[in-house]
Amino acid sequence: MSKLKSIALWAYVVAIMFPFFFLLLLSLSSDWRYPALLPEYFGLKNWVQVVGTESGLAYSFFISLVISLSVAVTATLSGFFISRYVSYHKKKGLLTMLTYFPYILAPVVFGACLSYYFLRIGIFGTTAGVIIAQFIIAFPYALIFFSSFWNEKIKNYENLVSTLGGNRWTTFTKVLLPMAKGLMMVCFFQTFLISWFEYGLTSIIGVGKVQTLTIKVFLFIKEANFYYGAMSCCLLIIPPVVLIYINKRFVFNKLI
Amino acid sequence: MKNRGYIGILFFILIGITPFALSFGYALLYSFGVIGVANSGFTLEFWKAVFESGEFVKSLFYSIAIALVSTVISVSLALWFTLAFEKKLRGRILSFVIYLPLAIPGIVASFFTVQVLSKAGFFSRLFNKIGITSGISDFPDLINDPYAIGITLVFISVVMPFFLLLFLNVYQNERVAELAELSRSLGASERQTIWRVSLPVLIKKTWTLIALYFIFLLGAYEIPLILGEESPQMLSVLIVRELKQFDLSKISEGYVVAVIYTVIVSIATILLFSNRKSQDIHE
Repeated sequence: MSKLKSIALWAYVVAIMFPFFFLLLLSLSSDWRYPALLPEYFGLKNWVQVVGTESGLAYSFFISLVISLSVAVTATLSGFFISRYVSYHKKKGLLTMLTYFPYILAPVVFGACLSYYFLRIGIFGTTAGVIIAQFIIAFPYALIFFSSFWNEKIKNYENLVSTLGGNRWTTFTKVLLPMAKGLMMVCFFQTFLISWFEYGLTSIIGVGKVQTLTIKVFLFIKEANFYYGAMSCCLLIIPPVVLIYINKRFVFNKLI
Repeated sequence: MKNRGYIGILFFILIGITPFALSFGYALLYSFGVIGVANSGFTLEFWKAVFESGEFVKSLFYSIAIALVSTVISVSLALWFTLAFEKKLRGRILSFVIYLPLAIPGIVASFFTVQVLSKAGFFSRLFNKIGITSGISDFPDLINDPYAIGITLVFISVVMPFFLLLFLNVYQNERVAELAELSRSLGASERQTIWRVSLPVLIKKTWTLIALYFIFLLGAYEIPLILGEESPQMLSVLIVRELKQFDLSKISEGYVVAVIYTVIVSIATILLFSNRKSQDIHE
């Protein structure tokens, strides 16, 4: 029984590592046709082209980074400040429940129903439109995330600063922000990843014009260009792996 | 100070609630034919058409079945791994490795699954090489298949690692090891300790998240889009397909499905919340 258990554990470890090795191998390959078990070409040919303009992957990586950083910064900051008012409100329960509706709804369905307004405002198919759409789904996450921060203890600190003569600015800059620094980092990376991994909403609002990395993966699947698809996957995976290496909390959070 | 509070709540309503209310209102009006290029006024025709075609009901049950099977298998596997390897999984290397699946988004998991489980994929080649199959047609349909094997496998591979980390976390925070030790010292068997102590503690502390993940899977899009069949389709895929139709009358039917899906998910959220509240009060 214990031998079986050991086999199960090692099988799980292999199952975790296999996609990383396989995708890297595929991104370094070409001319890998059925029934060959290994590729005919193995080298850096595909990756060299990433630097060039042929695949557009470098641009996709850059635009994904810009979108995700914008979403993460705005969602984290607005989530932090607005969650204070929600958490201290006498109808906190109701307001928090309302926050869950956009959070729990499939982003692609949300985006499809919102697209009319984006079209009217003139941001349909633009990078700004995608940032705003992703912010709309990342914001409720940030709001729920920070709701546990605003508790009785924090309120007492705020009152203490006020009693000692500190104004609102001092309270935020000298007390609240230093206390919430760790949480803000976690929220920043979590909202960054929500945006980084997002596909459905981006495809609806971006209408194929805003080609983030997830959109590229799907395009390469449709074109049956699996080598470039694998490269896009590797580029998508690298930032979260780095984050896990730096701090696991940046990627895993048992929210809610 | 009071004014500042009002501004904060106003921002909350503007960013947090208004987009949801606007999108739901638009979908609702479109579904009743009140707005829309090809619509001429209030009608129940689109709602009737959706229920008469049976495609929505089929899609709903198909989505529920896949989400349920995936959630049950993921939770069961994660619980088993937690109880069987709790100490080993906290080791230096393993504690890093078990986080790695969280770095793989749904679209990458789907792409990888196509590469390894399709008829020309890696496993088909491997089985052909070692003589288990004699060609491409001998390999079973594991993606875009009628039983949604591919979708279910990817759902499990995406959700199970999260639950494993969650259960390991709860195991430590709730001191399940100490509770199990106590129950054994009071004469309980290993089986009794697992079924009467460890599992109830782990599930009671996480059931809200389990339910939320079931709802997330119900609305999953890119995984069933890549690995699913043409019919039936999972709810999100069906909704987007209907909304992108060239036949303008079909767009209203797409909004009908979107409205029903939103109502189902919203009711589930309210139920989860009210249950959670009463649980919090009892605790």
